[in-house]
Amino acid sequence: MARRKRKPKSRQKLQRGFAIIALLALVAAIVLVAVLDRRVTQQFEGRRWTLPARVYAQPLELYAGQNLSSARFAQELERLGYIARTPVDRPGTFRRKGDSVDVYVREFRFSDETQPAQKLHVGFDGEAIAALAGAGGADVPVFRLDPLLIGSIFPIHGEDRIIVSPAEVPPLLPEALKAVEDRKFESHHGVNPLAILRALFVNVRAGQVEQGGSTLTQQLVKSYFLDSRRTLRRKGEEAIMAFILESRFEKADIMNAYINEIYLGQDGRRAVHGFGLASQFYFGKPLAELNLPEVALMVAIVRGPSYYDPRRHAERALERRNLVLKVLAEQGVVKPEEAERAMKAPLGITDNAGRSANYFPAFLDLVRRRLREDYQEQALTETGLTVFSTLDPLLQEKAEIALSDELARQDKSGRKAAQGLEGAMVVTTPQTGEVVAMVGGRRASFDGFNRALDMKRPIGSLAKPMVYLAALQSGRYTPASVVMDEPIEYKLESGDVWKPNNYDKKVHGPVTLVRGLTQSYNLATVNLGLDVGLGPVAKTYVQLGLDEAPPKYASILLGTAQLNPVEVAQMYNTLANGGFRSPLRAVRAVIDEQGKALKAPELEVTEAAPAEAVYTLNRMLIEVFERGTARPAKKALPPGLVVAGKTGTSNDYRDSWFAGFSGGHVIVVWMGHDDNATTGLTGTTGALQAWTRLMASISTTSFDPLMPEAVEDRWIEFYSGQETSPYCSGSAVRMPFEVGTVLNPNPACPPSTTVEEAALMQPLLQDAPNEEGVTVPADAAPQTSNRP
Amino acid sequence: MLPLSRTFVAVAVLAAAGCSLQPFRSQPPTSTRPASQGGSGPVITEPPTVTSTMSPEPVIQGPAPSIPVPRERPKVAPATLSPASKALVTQAQTQRKKGDLPGAAGSLDRALRIEPNNPLLWIEMGRLRMDQRNYAQAESMGRKALSMAVGDNRTQSAAWQLIADSLQARGKNPQAQEALEKARELGTQ
Repeated sequence: MARRKRKPKSRQKLQRGFAIIALLALVAAIVLVAVLDRRVTQQFEGRRWTLPARVYAQPLELYAGQNLSSARFAQELERLGYIARTPVDRPGTFRRKGDSVDVYVREFRFSDETQPAQKLHVGFDGEAIAALAGAGGADVPVFRLDPLLIGSIFPIHGEDRIIVSPAEVPPLLPEALKAVEDRKFESHHGVNPLAILRALFVNVRAGQVEQGGSTLTQQLVKSYFLDSRRTLRRKGEEAIMAFILESRFEKADIMNAYINEIYLGQDGRRAVHGFGLASQFYFGKPLAELNLPEVALMVAIVRGPSYYDPRRHAERALERRNLVLKVLAEQGVVKPEEAERAMKAPLGITDNAGRSANYFPAFLDLVRRRLREDYQEQALTETGLTVFSTLDPLLQEKAEIALSDELARQDKSGRKAAQGLEGAMVVTTPQTGEVVAMVGGRRASFDGFNRALDMKRPIGSLAKPMVYLAALQSGRYTPASVVMDEPIEYKLESGDVWKPNNYDKKVHGPVTLVRGLTQSYNLATVNLGLDVGLGPVAKTYVQLGLDEAPPKYASILLGTAQLNPVEVAQMYNTLANGGFRSPLRAVRAVIDEQGKALKAPELEVTEAAPAEAVYTLNRMLIEVFERGTARPAKKALPPGLVVAGKTGTSNDYRDSWFAGFSGGHVIVVWMGHDDNATTGLTGTTGALQAWTRLMASISTTSFDPLMPEAVEDRWIEFYSGQETSPYCSGSAVRMPFEVGTVLNPNPACPPSTTVEEAALMQPLLQDAPNEEGVTVPADAAPQTSNRP
Repeated sequence: MLPLSRTFVAVAVLAAAGCSLQPFRSQPPTSTRPASQGGSGPVITEPPTVTSTMSPEPVIQGPAPSIPVPRERPKVAPATLSPASKALVTQAQTQRKKGDLPGAAGSLDRALRIEPNNPLLWIEMGRLRMDQRNYAQAESMGRKALSMAVGDNRTQSAAWQLIADSLQARGKNPQAQEALEKARELGTQ
């Protein structure tokens, strides 16, 4: 009793205080563990990853008659990451032997069905596919390859990944990860104190970080919460969460989560997470197809994706990869001979310095914008959609080359104004209205200002076809009609007087419509447009696919309307499509994570302009290449290829445009300076050159539309518009006219003139007016070329 | 118009397309243009070489034309489908029967990329738009097919039939009747 009494009250208080503190600490610890438990478990169990929408290019369709050589087919397979090897015994491999290719095609989930992995035999006949056969030798009429992955739609500074299931992971990868990063993975409880101590010892001795002591589980936790602060508190929390994960989940699940979670590289603003995407990013093929040295390199990168970046620090990466291989051999994961052999292998990464191959930012930008019309941002960046786009990778590559080659030529031309030019290109397919390629600037793989979409510039003479279309639609004009190419003074609403000029500062007097358009005469066009009326001219812009008509100023006749290259492509696509308007599409189909088809724009056609007027206009646009401003390009095009198009040059040579089409492709090119400085180039000496480079390098067809029933072809004299015979002079041109149109016959050489009669007249006809200034040399400076 | 006869016309055209002995657009595969997109109308810019890839009959009699262009339009052999598009059209029809309209559209899209100038494919796409109750687009597809079938009566007849059906579905009966007349007239030629 006495003892108890002696016990000071203060001490009792102290004890109680301690108890309370201990209790509070315990509660705090429990709360902390509970909080951490919730955080980490939710992260692990819930929607584990936000999945950016994955965007694919259009698949390569194979069918008998397809214009594709075995060599080009092999190139396409390599682009898809297929490996040439014998035997062809697993998906992702192929063998080319002369004119035949055996390929083991990968499984792929298309929008309508999952195509299983299968063997295919493709026989070639020179430049075309002769036949396709399946595994049993059965004839296959048509087959699509798995398409190229071209990117993802991720939030700015966002993570991107391709989720892989355990079945898609080569068994070597988890073994290698364990051997190199966490040898006790199978037995520890989330933390490995011995490893931490060992790492500490090694690192102190080496004076640098050579070994990490974190288990795979700890690395996973660390990656979940993206906090690189190395405070003790963080370390403690990490350890607790790792422990929690280990007690709640299977090792296999943790390994799978690790493989999909971990950070493995940086691609501009996008963070490459998980081995699935990293495999595409570094090797351009699926994870399942990686071999030993490739797996070893990936494991090497884990330790420091920027320090061991195989693109920027190839030697460092190679050294570490070989160290990994050595460890794998020591640990008995692979045989020493295998490791030896693997050490001799090159890194094997796809080139494209610092960027993943097949990176097409301008086109992806278009896809993203089109998708935003139908989808919430969050649905695009988080819910794992698969997007099937219209991009044709081969065409895209050729477009990039055509533009950059032309810009390089201009850089070296010695003309200061044409150096350091920017450019943009859009390629569409006329009948189906698909955007198959897009280049947004000089550096095509640079994700910056997208000139194809975000830059509006005056279209110059690209506007002339709209004036002539309005004239033809009015029913008052034919290609043989004569308009006056003479000075005009137009009183503007502001009270000023507008006095347009021809580019050659000359006046040509009475000219036919076909001459006025092909030789791009400003005065003839303005006189024609004013006669037809600004209203009808402005209306054609909407007919051809613009959302809004340009303001009805007289200057729109000469192309002051400012449009971006995609808008121009839309309008010219409607022309190439015979007056049928198909809204340009960049997306063919969208499916969700379960493979269900979601909303996507459908193929649409609308008869927008009368077929006869459009057909007649197009025939005049063909003449632009025969006797107009695009004639210099003719010799660079494949012989016999019929194309149509129009040059455009804005005031003071600020913008150089060309828009034109073959039967299979519409190509629009813009060249100019971002600061609007003069380029010193016309449409002919600038954009047309890049256009021709591309048109000549692709597989396409002649522009060859069927003549509408209501029109017929007749020969007219290019200068006078008089009806004549094809044998009379070189200036006779065949043009379509509505059946029954009355034309003035050429008195000297009427339509009935035979070849024999014409031969007798030859001396007389030598004096036929000479075309002036249409023979613009391809490389001529604008001073020597007369017209845009 | 009974749906039965509608189906009949489409099937008849496609069957004819399949059975035709004529090889699909007689372009050799080694030419610079893909064999899938054979030439259609002649666009001739060089006077002396007046040729036509469109018609089996000679367009102009004799080596030197006395009249530049014949007023009479040559008849054109009915359009046919290439084996690749035929396979895709068959697949689309199966998908349509199963009610998988997006799938069918995808298959026809593929065929159209291979043969964008084949009017039969546009008619087929128009038929699908009918199923999707997109009658305005069905008509547009029919008109697109017409523009590609100049001189090909059988195909034009099928296109007019599609247009007639699309008009009728929208209650535009007088116009539908007119279109139907055209389909019949062309069908008997």
